[in-house]
Amino acid sequence: MATAELVLGLLSAGPAHGYDVKRGHDSWFPDGRPLAFGQVYTTLGRLERDGLVEVVEKTSGGGPDRTVYALTDKGRQHLADWLVDPVPPAWGSADEVLRKLVAAVRTGGDAAAFLARQRASHLRRIRELQETPAGQDPTSPMVRDYIVAHLDADLRWLDGALDRIALDSTALDRTAEQENS
Amino acid sequence: MNALELTDVEFAYRRNTALRGVSLQVKAGEIVAITGASGCGKSTLLHCAAGILSPDSGSVRLDGQDLATLSPESRAELRRTKIGVVLQFGQLVPDLPLIDNVALPLLLAGHQRSEAHVHAREWLTQVGIEDEADAVPSELSGGQTQRAAIARALITGPTVVLADEPTGSLDSRAGKELLDVLIKTAKYRGAALVMVTHDNLVAASANREIRLRDGVIQHEVAL
Repeated sequence: MATAELVLGLLSAGPAHGYDVKRGHDSWFPDGRPLAFGQVYTTLGRLERDGLVEVVEKTSGGGPDRTVYALTDKGRQHLADWLVDPVPPAWGSADEVLRKLVAAVRTGGDAAAFLARQRASHLRRIRELQETPAGQDPTSPMVRDYIVAHLDADLRWLDGALDRIALDSTALDRTAEQENS
Repeated sequence: MNALELTDVEFAYRRNTALRGVSLQVKAGEIVAITGASGCGKSTLLHCAAGILSPDSGSVRLDGQDLATLSPESRAELRRTKIGVVLQFGQLVPDLPLIDNVALPLLLAGHQRSEAHVHAREWLTQVGIEDEADAVPSELSGGQTQRAAIARALITGPTVVLADEPTGSLDSRAGKELLDVLIKTAKYRGAALVMVTHDNLVAASANREIRLRDGVIQHEVAL
């Protein structure tokens, strides 16, 4: 995930502490996984090393970290380039659902039962999202639509996989036997 | 007692078997999504549950009553009072104003027209189209037509509402609004809601998904 570029984007409004970067990220993606503090500081350290951000204020003492980071010109250009580039289509096998399915089929596990549980999990997530109104800011509804559309696409794929497993159950059993022999 | 109970239901259209020993139970207030590919038997299942089709074997019980043991008149009466049906395109009577379309189940049950209209108006308000009471179906949008179909399905206080692709004719926004109305009104009545759908966003609103394949239940999962 392009956490580094998102951090650059979050700093584009002005210098900020790591804590502000984390809060900003989580408000941009309220339905997503919160950004871990550890990841924020690791990312900021790497961006500083690469000359994309710089420390503009640092106070030490007994209290919390008061290191303030700002974008450099190079960082601003990197962000602009990132926003222009299209994202390459994802390679499916990186997805854990696919990995589990292939492993279940290859090892003679109950792939259909796994797919049914995965369907239920996806449907529950859609319902959770439908029951909570998206934020009123300009991007939250788009983020919400994106997540729901992807869950829906996954569900269609799960449907197709269930059909294939039902159609090919004999062939799949044979595959598992061959793998295990 | 289950609101709806199907036991080992089999049904064939001539030589094409559509349902092969399907059993399911639905409790009052429960929302169930029936999913599966086209031709898997979803709509046949719904039509058997509604008493529109009679199974070749197996039983359909509504509020504990086996439909096969009832006389045609009693079965028709049970269907009129205990089952509400919402189809994909509303299926309203083209020449009747909306108020009469919605009041129709009560009029068929012998209620006075004025009394039936009072209830119909309440239901038109429930589904948010009270201003269209005098319109005929051709003057309505797809969403308004489906809302009227929901009002007509619920006006008798049915035990079970059966919906076949209720949002299938609508765009995503109108579909979501209609789904909210359908679920809200079914809950308001305490009715069980069984929806046949190929739309995952509709299925997600259910308490349970039952997936059919080639006339058998492939899986059943709590949501």
